[in-house]
Amino acid sequence: MSNPYRLWEIQGRSNTGPFCDENDFLPKVFAPKLQEIVKKHEIKYDPKTPVPSDEAMADRIWQAGWELFREVGLYNTDTHRIIRLSDEEIREALYATSDRYWVGAGKDAVLWKHRQVEDTEPPFCIYSPDCTCSEELFYSYCLSFLKEPLLDGFCAPILEDSMGQKIRSASPFEINGCTEHIYKMRLAAKQVGRPGTFFVAVGTAEHDTGQIAVSNNEWGVRTTDSRIIGTLTEFKTADTLLNRVVHCAQYGCYTGNLTGPIYGGWCGGSEGVAVTLVAYSLNGLCIYGAHFNQHFPFHLNWGSNTTRELLWPISMAGQAMARNSKLLYTSNGFANAGPMTEMLFYETACHAMVSTVTGWHLWEMASARNKFRNRATAMEARLAAEVGHAVARQGMKREQANEIALKLLAKYEAQAGTAPKGVEYQECYDVATALPTQEHYDMYRKVKDEVAALGVEFPY
Amino acid sequence: MAFEELCNAVEAGDRDKSKSLAQKLVEGGGDPLAIIEALTGVMDRIGERFARLEIFLPEMMMAGEAMSVVVKILTPHLKAGSTGQSRGKVLLGTVKGDLHEIGKNIVKLMLEAGFYEVKDLGVDADPVNFIKEAEEFGADVIGASSLMTTTMPHQKEIIDILKDQGKRDRYKIVIGGAPTTVEWAEEIGADLYAPDAGSAPRLLGGLLKK
Repeated sequence: MSNPYRLWEIQGRSNTGPFCDENDFLPKVFAPKLQEIVKKHEIKYDPKTPVPSDEAMADRIWQAGWELFREVGLYNTDTHRIIRLSDEEIREALYATSDRYWVGAGKDAVLWKHRQVEDTEPPFCIYSPDCTCSEELFYSYCLSFLKEPLLDGFCAPILEDSMGQKIRSASPFEINGCTEHIYKMRLAAKQVGRPGTFFVAVGTAEHDTGQIAVSNNEWGVRTTDSRIIGTLTEFKTADTLLNRVVHCAQYGCYTGNLTGPIYGGWCGGSEGVAVTLVAYSLNGLCIYGAHFNQHFPFHLNWGSNTTRELLWPISMAGQAMARNSKLLYTSNGFANAGPMTEMLFYETACHAMVSTVTGWHLWEMASARNKFRNRATAMEARLAAEVGHAVARQGMKREQANEIALKLLAKYEAQAGTAPKGVEYQECYDVATALPTQEHYDMYRKVKDEVAALGVEFPY
Repeated sequence: MAFEELCNAVEAGDRDKSKSLAQKLVEGGGDPLAIIEALTGVMDRIGERFARLEIFLPEMMMAGEAMSVVVKILTPHLKAGSTGQSRGKVLLGTVKGDLHEIGKNIVKLMLEAGFYEVKDLGVDADPVNFIKEAEEFGADVIGASSLMTTTMPHQKEIIDILKDQGKRDRYKIVIGGAPTTVEWAEEIGADLYAPDAGSAPRLLGGLLKK
């Protein structure tokens, strides 16, 4: 079966599920249930071990995530009702879903498969700067990413302007920006000789109208591409998001469920984030009809996920899902530092290694906390994919990944709160050729060699 | 002793214990104003611990609820004129087209714990609604949150409409949200940029003293 799972029976629960006052949902339903479940399953964070090898705890986290999803459900802020599923339905959805999909088109199509913990198959690598960018740089940005040899999928930066006018969500300017976004992606993919590349698009669309406007197999987002549909933090949705679920299902493209559980927020600490990641994946499968889950847990104050309190839940949730399901899920790195800084490369290498060894696919890399325009490049994504391929091919074990992670953390963790912003794309790339400057390349190569010396066996 | 116990109970977010201890203190002749002042210090400390993530949002919220219960018990016992502990009135909302709310909600929680009066417009709030509600509420401050670059223009729109209506000077405008920056705040003419929820009450306090 291809997703979605029982589309109209599930969607109908937006109208028939239990009523809940929105002000009560997080403090009185979600947070206490999560605390209760974490305690019941004896889930305990250990800062000394960012990459644990505790399989029994991974299985308990899976069970805890399942219980959280079943008990809490997904709150629709438009109808004030909760969509909930039974154990039987969750089991059926998990059984019926596929563990692999062909994505992209023609010669550029790629088979994307479920991974195991310490899998020797390289991760599926989606390259994405995640940031916003200036209109005049957008096309060069697309070229710079699509030139990357290890790219399996591409998500372009978000346009802030179109035809010189500021894009405003849900307005005509957004539809115009979305059209520009996908046309330029298509042209860039064609020019680099990879016209069928798998796209996740379009990030410029905040509103459902923008997404729906560009569904077109000739010039727009194709049925061999994907959309990502967000879940509101934590465990809330809205009709504008569910509109996209239905549209994608009926249009026939792939769907990813985008979630960002917050360390320090309603999830509490690392344990709660790990459990919530699992629960979100079940939500993605069962309610959003997602073919994959796109997770970016992050730190409330820093907006990043490369420090140990976030690496631990990434690692544990990855193991929990790899061991207990056949789901596809990407680990989206959020670094503190910005482009062309050594710190960014260390953070990227660490995030990619930990994620890959614990069963994730990669979605890399949001730099400078994904906060600043033009501050992310394909060079950090390149390093992430190369690390992912290397550690998979060499069959790296969790114990070794843990040792290397501790060494990498020692290089950057103390600067997490004061990380350098780095430079903008046009300062470290030749905009015309869409290639990195020599200085930028040299910095990447230096850090890559350092990472190799720690035990990551790059093939080149 | 009960006074100290009450502070501990509020800090631990124990509503029931806070309620019974507050009742006991008032019935025993305790000075309600002194109790509130002491608990204000407790809430400031909790806010600082939350800003450092030594505690998390659920604990912060529980302490805030315990504090509210105590304030409800003490308020009828305060002498006339001594209840004016409000540090200011803040109208908060997430701007039009944006459904993200956690940052705005944390700011609300922290401001309430810090004795600001807060009115929350929720998410997807129209710029005109911000202004109408601010007038009705008698707000000192309008706080506008945005999590998406494509909704940030609505923060500017609030300021632009206020200027067009000749009302800009009536309110301090604070903006925040993940993609926003101090440069953006300056560009659109906001009075304050809140880089994170934890620092909002302190920064706001400074702004209102000016």
